[in-house]
Amino acid sequence: MFRRDTPAEAEFRNEVRNWLEANLPTALRGRTTRPPPEELMPWYRTLSQKGWIAPHWPKQYGGMGATLNEQIIMTEELARIGAPHLPVQGLNHIGPILMEFGTDAQKQKHLPPIVAGTVIWAQGYSEPGAGSDLASLSTRATLDGDRFVVKGHKIWTTWAHHSDWMFALVRTDPQAQPRHAGISFLLIDLHSPGVKVRPIRTIANDDEFAEVFLDDVVVPAENLVGKLNDGWRIANALLGHERIGTSNPQFALIALERIKAMAQATGVIADPAFQDRLAAASINVTTLSALFSHAVELTNHEKSPGPESSIIKIVGSELLQSLNELLVEAAGGHATADRPFHTQFGDIDAAVPYLFSRRVTIYGGSSEIQRNVIARRVLNLPS
Amino acid sequence: MEVRLTSEQSLLRESAAKFIAGAGAKVARGYRHQSPGFDPARLHEAGELGWLGILVPESMGGQGLGLTELALVLEQAGRGLVCEPIGLAAISAAALSQERAPHPMLQRVVSGQALVAPALQESAHGTDIAEPRTRLTGADGALRVSGRKMFVCADGADGFLVSAAGRDGPALCYVARNAPGYTLTETQTVDGRRLATLDLADTPADLLAHPPSRNAVESLNNLALFALSTELLGVMDRAQEMTLDYLRIRKQFGKLIGSFQALQHQAANIYIRTESVRSLVYQIAANNEPLGIDPALAIAAKAKASEDALAVTQTCIQLHGGIGFTDEHDIGLYLKRAMLLSSLLGNAAAQRRRYAAVARLSA
Repeated sequence: MFRRDTPAEAEFRNEVRNWLEANLPTALRGRTTRPPPEELMPWYRTLSQKGWIAPHWPKQYGGMGATLNEQIIMTEELARIGAPHLPVQGLNHIGPILMEFGTDAQKQKHLPPIVAGTVIWAQGYSEPGAGSDLASLSTRATLDGDRFVVKGHKIWTTWAHHSDWMFALVRTDPQAQPRHAGISFLLIDLHSPGVKVRPIRTIANDDEFAEVFLDDVVVPAENLVGKLNDGWRIANALLGHERIGTSNPQFALIALERIKAMAQATGVIADPAFQDRLAAASINVTTLSALFSHAVELTNHEKSPGPESSIIKIVGSELLQSLNELLVEAAGGHATADRPFHTQFGDIDAAVPYLFSRRVTIYGGSSEIQRNVIARRVLNLPS
Repeated sequence: MEVRLTSEQSLLRESAAKFIAGAGAKVARGYRHQSPGFDPARLHEAGELGWLGILVPESMGGQGLGLTELALVLEQAGRGLVCEPIGLAAISAAALSQERAPHPMLQRVVSGQALVAPALQESAHGTDIAEPRTRLTGADGALRVSGRKMFVCADGADGFLVSAAGRDGPALCYVARNAPGYTLTETQTVDGRRLATLDLADTPADLLAHPPSRNAVESLNNLALFALSTELLGVMDRAQEMTLDYLRIRKQFGKLIGSFQALQHQAANIYIRTESVRSLVYQIAANNEPLGIDPALAIAAKAKASEDALAVTQTCIQLHGGIGFTDEHDIGLYLKRAMLLSSLLGNAAAQRRRYAAVARLSA
């Protein structure tokens, strides 16, 4: 809407679009929930063989070394064709963290399997007693010679039951003040003795996440990333960048098209009251596009928006929810079905995207936490 | 988020900020219920600074700049509650300069010696912008317009840009103040300014674009929607700043009230609204020509800015508490300016109705 492709970018977009049309299996398109690994990982490896699995990684680590604009084009084309969400903890989180903070040995061991799609990673941050107040986490890692012994309980761990490794925040100094000064960043092999993983069924009726029990799990000291007790800084170092990627307005544009199709199918499109709500939603999608282009422009000029990127997380996630609420409204009685509604505009699922989207204002720092960040760190209000 | 500017654009913003240091709430108060409700010498000064001809090609004595530069000036005008009609003059000048031969009024408008104001709205909601009921009759050289224009910012204006339906569809024409068959009825606005109803009965007019085109009317309307959105951005930006300052000094329960989470989240919400409008306005500015703004974008901006400016200034009054409800405190002036600007050419709900039609959401 606001950004325009250069001729070279347009050519790249075309290449991506044509290749996806030819290579993405039809059964994987337009899925409202993430397919299980046996279906999803072959597609991951197809992208990997094409050299496109890690657009934002430098070439030396097996990435594409793509510009930010090319990365955005890739995200948009994947969204346009309805490609399924890949497991991103390796690609977007631990990969970039190891590039920045890892030892050479850690990089050599862990980065190639992420690109190849042979190892799946999970993120072990939240605990039953440490959600929004993450710094209060109590999973304890005790250094004993050349190894840590880890005891604790992680939860809301996306895809942990399908994962091979977990990067985790663990407490290494229980006395430290402030509390986040006693936290370290550790890589844990989930196939180790003492690890137990239990999937958790969500309200969207899928097993998207799990809880991980760690019962005196032995972790070699070489799996520490960065310095002891420096884990908090490492975990937070790359947050802003990720928020921009996940707020691409393409997802909202697709949700908007789904609402229009549903409203045409049920006839509510002719209702002026509904049209007003649809116009408001569409104007809000335009606004998100503007915020996104603005943030991309700043990032392209090495002025990454920092804590201000909380705005994009809030606007993007709350908009996606309101769009799915409007989809449910457009669907009327069909919103209660547990399977897609068959229309002349295609099969449209209302309940699952609606239920699934309840999580976007919770994960990655809830909307309330993001507002705290804006109030304290952007607006400098007193504490 | 910071708007990326060239060094020339940064200088322009600084000079606009300097200009509004001489404006502000105190000055705006002084012009309430005055006629004219602004200082003609200051409008002239804005002309000398080049702002009124900011969109006019250099070959016609203007600056030949774009929407970003217009926005930088008008955002400051909104912040400073500036009463001089800089935006009206600048967009009228753009419309007067679109022919190969400039309109005779152009130079005087660009210098700030005369004022020309658009007169496009015919009803409370301005939903008839694209299909005016005002009629254009006669032949070129002896054209006449008849009809009624409402909510016209006529204060101090020497002439008007009137939309009218001719034989070949809507056209834009120039009507001089006090031309034969012309009646102007002024009403006071809630903020002590004035709007007018313009009745035209066989009033002589000049056609502004040859051949007459719907495009001339719509492109001026879209530019006006953009200008109003930008000024609304300035209004909400300054109201927010004043409110944050208050949250940092006011104490209750022995604590600064800005430390309370309920108020912090309201502050975050007004910040989100303000920054959303900022991104929208400056992204539109960077990607559109002044007389070629994508109608869906112009309408979206006005819808969003109108809604958000009211929401922000209302919240600012709430966060000030009792003092915010007094005439003595300046925050109320920002709400009233937002009321005026958000209603012009159609409020948020009216813009959404137009948006549904333009973006084809109803089929």
